[in-house]
Amino acid sequence: MKVLIVGYRGNPYCGGQGIYIYNLSKELAKLGVEVDVMVGPPYPDPLEEWATVYKIENLHLWSMKTREIPFEKLGRIFTPWNFADFILTRLHMFPEMETFSFRAFFALKKILKTKRYDIIHDIQSLGWATVPMKGYGMPIVTTVHHPLTKDREADLMGNRTMWDKVTTLLFYPLIMQSFVIKRLDRVITSFGEGVDELRKAFGVKREKASVVYNGMDVDLFQNTGEKREENALLFVGNTEDSKKGLVYLFEALTMLPENITLTIVDEGPPKRMSAARMIKKFGLEHRVKFTGKLTYEALVSIYSRKTILVMSSLFEGFGLPAVEAMSCKTPVVVTTAGSLKEVVTGDCGVLVPPKDPVALKDAILKLLGDKALRERMGENGRKRAVENFSWPVAAKNTLEVYKDVVREYRSGK
Amino acid sequence: MPRAKIWGFLAVILSAGLFALSVYSLFIFNKGDFSSFSSVNLQELNSLTYYSAAIPISAIALWVLATGFWIGWVILTIKVVPPMPEIVEKKDNSRIKAFFLCLLTAALAALLVYGVYVRSFWSLAVPAIVISAVILGAVFWVGMAIITTRATLPVNKK
Repeated sequence: MKVLIVGYRGNPYCGGQGIYIYNLSKELAKLGVEVDVMVGPPYPDPLEEWATVYKIENLHLWSMKTREIPFEKLGRIFTPWNFADFILTRLHMFPEMETFSFRAFFALKKILKTKRYDIIHDIQSLGWATVPMKGYGMPIVTTVHHPLTKDREADLMGNRTMWDKVTTLLFYPLIMQSFVIKRLDRVITSFGEGVDELRKAFGVKREKASVVYNGMDVDLFQNTGEKREENALLFVGNTEDSKKGLVYLFEALTMLPENITLTIVDEGPPKRMSAARMIKKFGLEHRVKFTGKLTYEALVSIYSRKTILVMSSLFEGFGLPAVEAMSCKTPVVVTTAGSLKEVVTGDCGVLVPPKDPVALKDAILKLLGDKALRERMGENGRKRAVENFSWPVAAKNTLEVYKDVVREYRSGK
Repeated sequence: MPRAKIWGFLAVILSAGLFALSVYSLFIFNKGDFSSFSSVNLQELNSLTYYSAAIPISAIALWVLATGFWIGWVILTIKVVPPMPEIVEKKDNSRIKAFFLCLLTAALAALLVYGVYVRSFWSLAVPAIVISAVILGAVFWVGMAIITTRATLPVNKK
């Protein structure tokens, strides 16, 4: 089978898409699939060992003031798609997906002069030009971990002024995604409830959606054997993302004994201020610390040392930190929001309702007070992560979806 | 001089020149007398000529107005779980503003459609001027940024 994976960002070290493309393409190649990858910057250079990479230009002008655009980018701005990017970003839109899809459409036309693919796999870009790509005579599947409506709702929840709301609504290209997603051959989502979420958000029919759990590197994320700290909570995630429900975690922390501390793996102030403001409001400055961005080795180490990972999310499309922690034999306390109730079972963590700081506090106290339970949950978590959430499993299941879609496409269904 | 700088100068000269020409033709050439524009008779144009200009211009204008209406409508109707009361500091009156945004954009859209239907000069001229100004403004702004940005880092004197 020959597959073209298409994604508008390809950095294999950060950002969900890049990591997904990197690992999925690697494991698909191991299964004998011929993989080509067409990506926007930052480009995944190491991929070239197992896949041909077609690089698509993008200047990443979003959130950059015109005066701050580097000279070498300014010099390239007057090409049609770059200029479209420039104007739309000045109007507070996020056009990266749109312009990427058009660039990819024309780039693919050239590639198809010498190559053919059995299927195209779009990674959550859903740009307008993905629809006419079907005219090239191949089925197209897309991976949508969660609909952007969830991000938009979370942002709107935090918006205080009319202007904030206007810019939020302009930012998310939901009309485009809603139009495009319904016209593709299959939508892969990473959790069962995601099928309903996609139906509610975009009107995707149930039969057009397939569930494939995301993968993670279970070889890298292994317990290091370092001594575990006591009463040390861990949070891993983007603190600026209101979907993470950090406010509820902080409120729970105010109800917990003073000797319980929280470490947040993300940038703190002055780079990121949302969490810092809440911490100040709740008077938790002496109990919460930020690590900044960590290397994978440091992240594995911190997962292995802290007592519990806590996720107070209001929605999760997969919940990677929970799986990483489980893989490092760390018990977790998570909300039942989104995918978390599928990812975490009762034998490897405690599940609580979202937006309930009291339940969060009780669950944390329960785990902190029972070392044997924590160790048992840690062992179970590792087993569950290896069996369900490794990249080889994800690639194998994705390949099954490809085969199914190609079969349907060729039989003219 | 790097090639990009030349493009920057050209962008500034071209956009400023075209904008100056528009201002001159609108305000100075006619000595501020807009009545001469109002008497332009688009009825004399044949339908194909008229609509080949009217459809693209009004489509872009309607798209912008529809976006404005959609934003207002979403803010008016979307059900978002409110944040916790203790972190809400400002009173939110965005629904009132959103209502007026819907009203304004709907009224402007109706006016535009009517104007295009009766072949009013201003119904095409105003959107055309606004669209041109946005594009020329963007070209000018990029050109200025190219001209005023250092192509290389300053030499480290130390």
